[in-house]
Amino acid sequence: MPGELAAPGLHARRPAGGGIARFLGRRTVLPGLLLIPVLAFFIVWNTIPTLWLLGLSFYRFSLTSGRAPIYAGLLNFQNILNDSGVWLDLSRTLLFVISGVGIQTVLGMLLGLLFWNSQRLPGRRVALTMLFAPMVLTPVASGTFWRLIYDPTFGVLNSILRGIGLPGTNFLGDSSTAFAAVLVVDIWMWTPFMVLMTLAALASVPKAELEAAEIDQLTWWQRLRLVLLFHGKYILMLGILLRTIDSFKTMDLIYNMTFGGPGTTTQLVAITLYRRAFEAFNMGWSSALAVILLLISIAFTATFIFVLHWRDKAEA
Amino acid sequence: MTIRSPTDLNATTGVNRRKLLTGAAALTAAAGLTYPRHVFSQTEKGHPLAGKSIRMAILGIAGWLPSKLGVDMSPDFAKYAKVRYGYDVSFSFADAPFGQLFQKAATSLATRSAEYNIIISDSQWLGALATPKWIVPLNDIIAKNKELDIEWFAPVVRQAYQTFPDGTENRYGFPQEGDTIALFIRKDLLDAPGEAEAFKARYGMDMPKTWEDFEKLSIEDYTKLAEFFTRPDKGYHGAAMQYSREYDFISCPLLSFMRSQGGDVWDPKSGQVQGIMDTEVNAKAMVQYKAMLKYQPPGAINYGIAEIVDVFTQGKAFSAWQWAAVGKAMIPAAMQGKVIVVPPPGFKQADGSLKRDYIIGGQPWVLNAFNDDAHARVALDFMKWWYLPETQLEFAKRGGNPCDKATLTAAGFDDLQPWYRTYKYMLPRSSDFWHDAKYSEMLAVQQEAFTAYATGQINDPAHALAYTACKQQDILFDSGTASKQPTGACSGIRL
Amino acid sequence: MRTTWREHAYHAVLWLVALVFFAPIAWIILSSFKTADQILATPPVLLFRPTLDNYVQLFARESFLHQLFNSLFLSISAVLIAVAVSFLAAFSFSRFKPAGTDFLMFLLLSIRMLPGSAAILPVYLMYVGFGWKDTYAGMILFYAMFSIPFSVWILKGFIDGVSPRFDETGRVNGASWLRIITRTILPQVMPGVIAALIFNFIFVWNEFLFNYIIGGLQTSNVPVALTTGLYSSGGVDWTFISALTSVYLVPPVLVVYFFQRYLLVGMTFGTVRGEV
Repeated sequence: MPGELAAPGLHARRPAGGGIARFLGRRTVLPGLLLIPVLAFFIVWNTIPTLWLLGLSFYRFSLTSGRAPIYAGLLNFQNILNDSGVWLDLSRTLLFVISGVGIQTVLGMLLGLLFWNSQRLPGRRVALTMLFAPMVLTPVASGTFWRLIYDPTFGVLNSILRGIGLPGTNFLGDSSTAFAAVLVVDIWMWTPFMVLMTLAALASVPKAELEAAEIDQLTWWQRLRLVLLFHGKYILMLGILLRTIDSFKTMDLIYNMTFGGPGTTTQLVAITLYRRAFEAFNMGWSSALAVILLLISIAFTATFIFVLHWRDKAEA
Repeated sequence: MTIRSPTDLNATTGVNRRKLLTGAAALTAAAGLTYPRHVFSQTEKGHPLAGKSIRMAILGIAGWLPSKLGVDMSPDFAKYAKVRYGYDVSFSFADAPFGQLFQKAATSLATRSAEYNIIISDSQWLGALATPKWIVPLNDIIAKNKELDIEWFAPVVRQAYQTFPDGTENRYGFPQEGDTIALFIRKDLLDAPGEAEAFKARYGMDMPKTWEDFEKLSIEDYTKLAEFFTRPDKGYHGAAMQYSREYDFISCPLLSFMRSQGGDVWDPKSGQVQGIMDTEVNAKAMVQYKAMLKYQPPGAINYGIAEIVDVFTQGKAFSAWQWAAVGKAMIPAAMQGKVIVVPPPGFKQADGSLKRDYIIGGQPWVLNAFNDDAHARVALDFMKWWYLPETQLEFAKRGGNPCDKATLTAAGFDDLQPWYRTYKYMLPRSSDFWHDAKYSEMLAVQQEAFTAYATGQINDPAHALAYTACKQQDILFDSGTASKQPTGACSGIRL
Repeated sequence: MRTTWREHAYHAVLWLVALVFFAPIAWIILSSFKTADQILATPPVLLFRPTLDNYVQLFARESFLHQLFNSLFLSISAVLIAVAVSFLAAFSFSRFKPAGTDFLMFLLLSIRMLPGSAAILPVYLMYVGFGWKDTYAGMILFYAMFSIPFSVWILKGFIDGVSPRFDETGRVNGASWLRIITRTILPQVMPGVIAALIFNFIFVWNEFLFNYIIGGLQTSNVPVALTTGLYSSGGVDWTFISALTSVYLVPPVLVVYFFQRYLLVGMTFGTVRGEV
């Protein structure tokens, strides 16, 4: 066998050596064997809980009632669909996702374009670390500390506002500003991510195109066109999709800033679910809502993968 | 039980007062529990745990002084248990803020876990903890251990901290600390030269100065005082009250406004909410309570317990409605002598009298039902120790709020802490709201609606109340507590 | 001359942007060296004599060291387990494309797309049933589970990029698959492994909700400590929060600094390759 040329597509070739090696070498066994650990994880921590969740969603079950679950058919789903509060939370979440991701994308692209060609920036690595730091700061800490920054009595933001002669505002306490205030923190946290994605998109512009143009001399619009022309647009799209999905899940950050208040002005659907499940312990109802969110997530994921394949095809 | 002579108590009080002035920290460090000799001579022979070593876990409220005192004092119990019962005990502690403590406890208890052997529960939780049988029913235990059958200062202590369901004889909790709303006033601002005259000139009435003056103060007159001391140019406002959506923060003072004027939240017997919660009296109370925002710092709409401590101690508020439990934090060393603690205002009744029907605070100890025999036994010994007169006195000295009649009526008690006179005065004038397994769900709805109105998300108080009533009625009907379904007007109601 | 001036201006703008984003964090760090009164002072104090008291007190808390240990222990062990098993699975997906590969990859990803409160609910109920709550094994394995999807995605992308010829050469020379995987493939996909490690590390390091719900006294991490320690005896404990946040921020910031080039791969779980 030595000396033979290795050719692609010969995976099934009988391997040298005996017993175990032969056993492992058989195509039908090895792939499965390698998958066992992940599948085990998947079954124990995903399949079983999901089935559990699905089952419970058909029951009336409160953890604090001391009673066994009672089968209720589709009652929980009916209640949720008829609950105007949930619809309001969902539409609020939608608004949060669209406006948040929209602004992050625009701002992120602008800053990304700005940072293009920054190779000669003194201390570039430090500057980028500072720019990316909001992404890696514990959301619990961000939320808590922004509360202090926004505070109308002790907060630094209001001190600045008063310093320049503007009236102080109770950003998180006023129902007309709370949503925007929370959104600003989300934008602060995640715009760096879109900068990152834009830089990646820029890096994907073919060298030949770059050599043709002096980057310094390009207008913003021309730079943008360069990116959008090539497969940078798929990268950006993936970025937007990732942010959309993540933004849909937002919970820690807002919970620590406003608890969803004042009133319900910052209550996103993930917070609603959390409160119903772990503050009110209404497990049946919450399971049903979780199932609905799972379906929405699957739709997001499917879109995401669709874009991926689209890109692969376009590149091929 | 030893009978304490009043002179003894006065002696300790005198020492303690001096220590208080030298700083709270020194007090805690210096103070130690001393027991009369007979306690130790009574060493119990043949305690089943003698010679053993036990580790106990307590779950308490983060940032809550009385809760922390229970923890701080536990080494004294260890000493006591070693001598008296002959076993070694050590403690570990977990805590969570009010808003999250119940879920911390419930998520653990639901697993039938004895992770926390003793839990400091909030008074409203008794139902939610007792219904699924997570905590130990105490009737039999109290019957067998007479020293735990304690005479309380007021009937509300037993109702709020022990009883579930309301109106029965079933007991589930041991009072850990009693608590009431108190009014903290900046005495130095009140007494500043010229203020009394200016106040009289402006409002045609004498400015309240003493504890007795405040006892006679109505909410209308208090509002004048708050208005008078609202001076944004000087950096402070007249009042600070709770409006936060977290936990029960806006509910406690607001429900006090309602109840003191004849409103209520539900009928515990029939579980009826509609028709009781959504009344004109309550709507008026909501308008009143929101109107108080005018006299408060701009951030008041987010104020919870901790925020009020911050604004008051930083000198941003002339007066603050606050739980007596955090008295120590409200009057730090820098504020000594500048603060008086008085009863919050009364509400004028039709007959011209003043009424105070405030929401009670405070927490009971509850015992985990999944404790093994050894831990259950230690928990019980701990409770017996907790109610020793010496322990309760030490608790009071350190700033906790005992509930037993003996301690509260002992001579000199009122002077032990600046807020004790008020606490004692308010205790019989306070009561709890629902003890029900569904309390957390009902509370969430109510907090949403109340804060939605307070912050201007909705403008009609009657609508906020109607929404609350509908949702709570639905929750209670669903759980079988309420006999009536929510009315037709409730379908599709939203904030 | 003109270009240099322009370049200086350009660089100044870039730094300004970075500083604007960093400002709130700088404010936290600054606060951690203040006394409680200075943190609440209005107008804010910019010049003050820094104090290390907050840090001294922080490290004097017995529970803090325990929680810091938990944060490290949970995140490192979960991530190592996750990346190890994911590597095997990614290899299988990449090389053998077993039936249902696409579907499995899809399912794996959808776990991560679920809001945390929905994801934790069934796991919590299951942990209640099995008695796994507040055990290290329960926490680590759960975090590993949550780190697997992205790790598989990242690693599969990288393994796809390694020509199968390498395997073939090894096979032909009589090497076992194990040897091929560890000696031939692994070194070539190291960047992917690092990206998977750091990305999931940052996730587990900052995770609050799951730890809060299925953890307990024994296993609670620092984000949970931060939430529960918000209040001291009276008042919000800003000194504790600022000092704790500042300490806790050090590892992820070092990761961003030293592994900047892997950041993009991680943040997009391998779907976007490229350097910053």
